[in-house]
Amino acid sequence: MVVEERIARKPRRSLAWLQSIGIMLKVAETQLRLISRYPGSLAIDVIMPIVTTAIPILLGRSLTGSFDAQAFAANTGTTDYVPYMLIGSSMLTVVTTALWNVGFWVRREQQTGTLEAIYLAPASRFWVLAGVALYGMVRSLVSLLLSFILGCLIFGINPLQGHIGLAFSFLLLGLVPVYGLSLIYGAVVLRLKEAGALIQIAQWLTSLLMGIYFPITVFPPLLRWIALVFPPTWMNNGIRAALLGVGWFFDSWYADLGVLAVFAVIMPVLGYNLFAVVERKMQRNEGVGTF
Amino acid sequence: MIQVRQLTKTYQVRERHGLFATSKRAVHALNGIDLDIERGALFGLLGPNGAGKTTLIKCLTTLLLPTSGTATIAGHDVVQAPAQVRNAIGCMLMGERGLYWKLTGRENLAYFAALYFVPRHERNQRIARLIDRLRMQDFIDRPVESYSSGQKMKLAFAKALVHDAPILVLDEPTNTLDVPSARELRAIVAELHAEGRTIVYTTHVMTEAEQLCQRLAIVDRGTVIAQGTPDELRRQVVATEVIQVRGQIPPRATLSVQSLPSVREVAIATLDDGHELLVRTSEPRQVLPKLIETLYAYGASIEDVVPSRTTLEDVFMALTGRTLAEDTRTR
Repeated sequence: MVVEERIARKPRRSLAWLQSIGIMLKVAETQLRLISRYPGSLAIDVIMPIVTTAIPILLGRSLTGSFDAQAFAANTGTTDYVPYMLIGSSMLTVVTTALWNVGFWVRREQQTGTLEAIYLAPASRFWVLAGVALYGMVRSLVSLLLSFILGCLIFGINPLQGHIGLAFSFLLLGLVPVYGLSLIYGAVVLRLKEAGALIQIAQWLTSLLMGIYFPITVFPPLLRWIALVFPPTWMNNGIRAALLGVGWFFDSWYADLGVLAVFAVIMPVLGYNLFAVVERKMQRNEGVGTF
Repeated sequence: MIQVRQLTKTYQVRERHGLFATSKRAVHALNGIDLDIERGALFGLLGPNGAGKTTLIKCLTTLLLPTSGTATIAGHDVVQAPAQVRNAIGCMLMGERGLYWKLTGRENLAYFAALYFVPRHERNQRIARLIDRLRMQDFIDRPVESYSSGQKMKLAFAKALVHDAPILVLDEPTNTLDVPSARELRAIVAELHAEGRTIVYTTHVMTEAEQLCQRLAIVDRGTVIAQGTPDELRRQVVATEVIQVRGQIPPRATLSVQSLPSVREVAIATLDDGHELLVRTSEPRQVLPKLIETLYAYGASIEDVVPSRTTLEDVFMALTGRTLAEDTRTR
């Protein structure tokens, strides 16, 4: 009798959505709790964009002195290369944090044995991954905000210039396809059980394709086309265009935002399905928990 | 409650030969397992390390997809309805692993309670009850990394109970525990069983299986080589057992002992300080009280009675030709 009552008490279907959202929030909250036990890594998130952007900014200042950067202005539409580079560098941190988010999560949980513990639970994998993505998004947006403000203070930039709301729209919409790419990377890590080696190449490639210190118009045509099928390039340019007035890729903000919206639909679907395929393949073989 | 039919599991492992050369090899981890575990049973899966117990458990808990065959848990197929199966099972599979060491025990339990759909308003009460039951008050709010091995195992056990599932799957739960902690955990398992839960308990410790489980399956090289109650398993391999009695035993008592039902053979030896009577019987439990009664009736003074019981270790050895300890070491 006791046993039958227990089985009958399982989740009510009418509350499934609410429960699923609750799971997503709990996963995100737990990941935030975990990272809060490593305060040094949060500090690095804030400081890194400033450190990486200081080198090209100081180089630029030493080359141009008190003159405007004419060649830079001809290529980008703005002479103000300092905020241009600070935005690029900050966006690189946001994008790479997001890109490696799912892969690092998979790898860490594989190594600690908690991935199998999660797979033993009835919670849908979709909502667990959504929780991981939500955590990554909160973490990267907070560190972006802090590093951008700190960078503006250090380099003497007005942080309230341009269309902030539009820039924020590009940022939020642009992060969606990045998490789709993150799922693809997560699937690769799940399969290969290796997170580090791939990042060495991909980190460099990401910074190149996004054009963090220069516009992609200086690329040779083939590389420019490759950069244009990489969603973060559109996000980065959209934010710069909204804040600094550099040109849109399609001459209007809504066309560029539309392209990001298409990426935002395609990439997560592609990423989640690939992750599910790899997960199934792993379950057919030795399981997801082997490391 | 749990039904397994012709379950097989084969997977590929990559073997390395030197620096770069690799080859793939198929491992047949399960070879046609059949099991029936009734509701409310405490069922033991017994076998050496590498026998296939954990692979079987992983198939039953939906972590692995079987290659062929079927398994149903509480009426749900493990392949077709994995979410319902996971709902019905509380698992302790990886011992100390499977916990977030940077979180406190309470934070771990709250997290997994959420993943098992325990409603938010019930979560704290449920966790408080578990903390009381498993006596974890002293350490539950410390980070797990500061726990002793026994405390981590207790927390892992609490995690398996957090959603109050009707079926518990415990994979070698006493593996890293010291003797008192293992005894405490076994007592709690017995309590949970008494409450009506179905429990699947895997172990390679024969005495533990013998002490806890009503029914057992002995798994070896991916196959169930025997199953039944501990007594049934013993009877499968040994028809008779010997009861050894020491003391002052009048030799004439042996004739009466010989005539007791199911006694096959009686021998008496004279020692420096008395006698040793050896009684071979097919029903030691039934014979023992009558034997003692008969000996007293002849004026014997008994110092010691040792029924030489066939252990499950003996059963394993008789069925496989290997000892369990030797098998566990060499795998």
